[in-house]
Amino acid sequence: MAEIKKQKKDQQEGPKKVSIDVGDGAAIPSKEDVGLFTAWRVAFFGAIACIVYLAVFKPDPYVEILKFLPDGIFVTFKVTVLSILFALVIGLFTGLGRISKNKLINGTASLYVEVIRGIPLLVQLFYIYYALSKFVHVPDMASAVIAMAVCYGAYMGEIFRAGIQSIPKGQAEAARSLGMTPTQSMYHVILPQAVKTILPPVGNEFVALLKDSSLVSILAVADLLRRGREYASESFNYFEAYTVIALVYLIITLFLSKLISIMEEKIRAE
Amino acid sequence: MKRSVSVYALMLAVGLFVGTCFSGQACAAEKKAAIKTVTVATDATWPPMEMVDAKKNIVGFDIDYMNAVAKEAGFKVVYKNTAWDGIFAGVAAGKYDAIISSVTITPERQKEYDFSDPYTAVGQILVVPKALKAKGLADMKGKKVGAQIGTTGAFEVKKVEGVELKTYDEVGLAFADMAAGRIEGVVCDNPTAANFALQNKDYKARFKIVGEPFTKENYGIVVKKGNKELVDLLNKGIKAVKAKGLDKQFEQKWLR
Repeated sequence: MAEIKKQKKDQQEGPKKVSIDVGDGAAIPSKEDVGLFTAWRVAFFGAIACIVYLAVFKPDPYVEILKFLPDGIFVTFKVTVLSILFALVIGLFTGLGRISKNKLINGTASLYVEVIRGIPLLVQLFYIYYALSKFVHVPDMASAVIAMAVCYGAYMGEIFRAGIQSIPKGQAEAARSLGMTPTQSMYHVILPQAVKTILPPVGNEFVALLKDSSLVSILAVADLLRRGREYASESFNYFEAYTVIALVYLIITLFLSKLISIMEEKIRAE
Repeated sequence: MKRSVSVYALMLAVGLFVGTCFSGQACAAEKKAAIKTVTVATDATWPPMEMVDAKKNIVGFDIDYMNAVAKEAGFKVVYKNTAWDGIFAGVAAGKYDAIISSVTITPERQKEYDFSDPYTAVGQILVVPKALKAKGLADMKGKKVGAQIGTTGAFEVKKVEGVELKTYDEVGLAFADMAAGRIEGVVCDNPTAANFALQNKDYKARFKIVGEPFTKENYGIVVKKGNKELVDLLNKGIKAVKAKGLDKQFEQKWLR
């Protein structure tokens, strides 16, 4: 009886189709979506045209602003890339922890996800930077990266968990019947397949993290937004400075989401 | 059907009326007759000039001064606690009428905004950890020095070559960062420096003030460019406050 029940359950759980949609990044354009594809083109080339137009026809103050920003853009990328790398590592372990049968590991991973997802990123940044600095001295850039990685690690963990669970149980069972240990089957069979499901939402998180990285400007990290604010506070060209910042962020995120959509298509074609 | 049309018409009329008043055109015209209430923005994170006390009231030297000016010139003041970064944009956009927030009168700011007569004088000063041997900003080469974004302190640090400027949203965060060991100096107005380095119980054992103020600056009240009427009113009040010696009382109360 118990066996029949289990079989039924397996059938129901059988080959699931999971698409993970996080939806806090920029809308990722795909070829089938004709309208969005056009919207992407209009926004991307429109933003570039705007910046070029402003720089050519109103060089004062726009050229000055554009000269002020590059090191800020570099810092924004540095924070984003480092944070996403650490978040991926944290996310993998959290995801594995969340499906672990060990109660302690599972509980710890779940608690981490619950706590981090319940605290706004801005508060976490303040906490790690200013509150914890009472006990440990961490340099500013490292502090920003730790805070972003710890936050996004929790979200990544959920993506990894969903990705791993999207692989039919039969795969693991087959691997085990070939004599693999659970670790081996996870490493050689499950994860390589889960990557296909996991990659698109991870790309999405990357774009979302890049946008959220503007929050680190509060920590005296001289990122794109902070550089713009410093410029505005000295020249009082608030409108011009924030227009350029918005356009630069828009161009970067649209460019990245295009790359991700190309990557997604390649994965689907395989 | 007819009824609903008239209701819409009424709503539209009310909307237009409210809209025009809030858009400031009609109200500004009314104000021209006599300024009764002046909305004043202040960034209450700059003790002892402007800060929020334990009861959440905005207090400080500037606030006492502004209240006295208002009393002498015969208008009411409503305060608006506003973040420093963008406080100037707000006065230009007409979100409030004036700023009293330890604003130094500089030629660059005068180009964009109008100022009242100077009401008090301060200077920039350097605060460092006690162990650091520095006689001034020139000795801080290769080191990180913090200041609040968009303040004259930040501009002064930027002028010195070889010193890395780190800007903060609030000066208190710069001091917190120095306490955390991420920067080795903070530049701000001398009354504020004294408040953080000499009176703050966490900081007074760890920080020291370096020498004397190295700039001479005057604070003024900021108004939108061209609002001559309000400038005249403020100057009238400031003159009366000085004549009565009230400013000396406020200095005694807040700066000694």
